[in-house]
Amino acid sequence: MIPVSYNVRSLFVRKATTIATALGIALVVFVLAASQMLSRGVKKTLGSAGSPINGFVMRKGADTEMSSGIETPMVNLIMAAPGVKKDANGNAMGVGEIVMVLALEKLGGTAGQVSNVQLRGVPDNELSFRKEAHLIDGRPAHPGTDEVIIGKRLRGKFKGLELGQTFEVKKNRMASVVGIFEAQGSSHESEIWCDIDLVRTAFGRAGMVSSVTVALQSEGQFDAFKSAMEHDKQLGLQAFRENVYYEKQSEGTAKLVSFLGGAIVFFFSIGAIIGAMITMYAAVSHRKKEVGTLRALGFSRITILSSFLLEAFVLALIGGTFGAVASLGMSLVHFSMMNMASWSEITFSFDPAPDILVRAILIGGLMGIAGGLLPAIRASRTSPVEAMRE
Amino acid sequence: MSDASTTPTSTAANTAANTAVKSGGAAAATLIRLSQVGKTYYRGKEAVEVLKNLDLEMPDGAFEALMGPSGSGKSTLLNLIAGLDNVTSGSIQISGVDLSRMSEGERAKWRSQNVGFIFQTYNLMPVLTAAENVELPLLLTSLPSAERKKRALTALRVVGLEERASHRPDQLSGGQQQRVAIARAIVTDPKIIVADEPTGDLDRASADQILELLVKLNKELGKTIVMVTHDPAAAERASIVRRLDKGQLT
Ligand SMILES: Nc1ncnc2c1ncn2[C@@H]1O[C@H](COP(=O)(O)OP(=O)(O)OP(=O)(O)O)[C@@H](O)[C@H]1O
Ligand SMILES: [Mg+2]
Repeated sequence: MIPVSYNVRSLFVRKATTIATALGIALVVFVLAASQMLSRGVKKTLGSAGSPINGFVMRKGADTEMSSGIETPMVNLIMAAPGVKKDANGNAMGVGEIVMVLALEKLGGTAGQVSNVQLRGVPDNELSFRKEAHLIDGRPAHPGTDEVIIGKRLRGKFKGLELGQTFEVKKNRMASVVGIFEAQGSSHESEIWCDIDLVRTAFGRAGMVSSVTVALQSEGQFDAFKSAMEHDKQLGLQAFRENVYYEKQSEGTAKLVSFLGGAIVFFFSIGAIIGAMITMYAAVSHRKKEVGTLRALGFSRITILSSFLLEAFVLALIGGTFGAVASLGMSLVHFSMMNMASWSEITFSFDPAPDILVRAILIGGLMGIAGGLLPAIRASRTSPVEAMRE
Repeated sequence: MSDASTTPTSTAANTAANTAVKSGGAAAATLIRLSQVGKTYYRGKEAVEVLKNLDLEMPDGAFEALMGPSGSGKSTLLNLIAGLDNVTSGSIQISGVDLSRMSEGERAKWRSQNVGFIFQTYNLMPVLTAAENVELPLLLTSLPSAERKKRALTALRVVGLEERASHRPDQLSGGQQQRVAIARAIVTDPKIIVADEPTGDLDRASADQILELLVKLNKELGKTIVMVTHDPAAAERASIVRRLDKGQLT
């Protein structure tokens, strides 16, 4: 074999072209890794809400909480279903919630720009039911008032969404922010939580909830609970494990991010592969005599071929590593976008998983091999007589 | 082409003359034997017949110099003997092995085991050190790394450049680079060394040093050397001088 150091050092002889080509590949790997990291972040944010030990019930046929409506009497029936856990006082543990979307003015962007924010009307026991959510600032809202608590990712992002400030729920109906909560990075952190009656009166939804979430005695109780919900077709209900529901909700957005990222990566990578090809062709023709000499000394065609492929691979790996390292910087960036499931804005972060980075670097390496293949074949066809030419 | 009538007789005469040049005594065994070798290049449709019906025998242990005007086919002939290229017609036998019947891959392997190359422009890998350049042909053997490095240093010692082992070609003079190239040519201990104008790019003093080395390789290590040269002083060091004109030995 021709030593790898021969290829590596040759790359460093042509510093400018090597850097330019590596940067092309770095860019692709950066976009690839970043979009995968965002897709993973979306899944984590949207999909991490919910626990497998909770049952989640919506109107049959509804895709999202927004399009689901359940009358109050039904809520009691759901709470009484088999498998639902009871607290010390013998009360069923569960919450009926109602979800609406508010258009609020964004801060920090173009003046007057509005975006949707999800408003969740919750019962008094919400914070004790959802153990994963807890206040990090301010105090809980007083039941039966127009006080709200907001998820920490909304804080300061919209006009009025800050501790002690107020915003309009509906014309002339102001709500005031009294607390900030966090919820383990889930999509709840991009929501406003208010008294359920505030939503009902403001939006004319008396006697309705969007969904009911119950705690089950154990994960194994879910099947019994589900069949109780869905067996009687008259009820018109569907039940999910809560985590499964949220994962499903995240799929659309995660796929969109992956797809958009993939489309950009596809076009960029064509450019990067062509760049690598031009660079490697130049390298091969520049080193015609060296290659001829190697052939004269007895190195076989296949050895020459692999040597140049390896060189292209190393070149691409250098670029890919750059791109992957740069993409790590994205983990500092928070990214607001429309959540496809709720049509409201939600803040995602990039999840820098090691497997994403490794895979992106390897794909970068493969682009080097793709671009280097034809030049390497040309190199391998160099006649040993070239060594003798001047 | 020149008339056909002179060809057979003149080649026969050449062979006789060559044998006569050899330093008397019992005739050494023939190492390289060309029979009716022809080489034609094609430039598009146009055929250029560079060598025609060439018969030639080179004895084992000879130091041969090939001279002749530019374009007479010296390099072409050397390339054929070195197994870099194949004949268009005829055959080349070296130590009884027929090169003209080998595939390109077989010739590559044969070259790596039997021929050391010295080029006019040295042809060292610019990014490798002297020692790494010399080690290069050994990478085609199964020798372990430590042994390869040892042999590379030994070869550098033979050409007097052991202390330059870690220098890169651009840190060496032309004469030193050519000595590194000679070390690379002998490191696998091949039977034959071919050199195409090895002193062509060197000043007189460096050229003389190189020629001195070649004589030493021939005399002390028993290498058979085939050298193409324009330099009469270089040819003087050879044991046999042949002249080529228009593809014919004269
Ligand atoms: N690959 C090739 N294709 C076509 N013609 C070639 C090729 N190689 C050599 N020739 C021609 O063959 C002839 C002999 O070339 P060769 O290189 O053997 O000459 P030479 O005696 O070594 O000359 P010089 O002293 O200039 O090196 C020349 O006319 C040359 O143009
Ligand atoms: Mg020549």
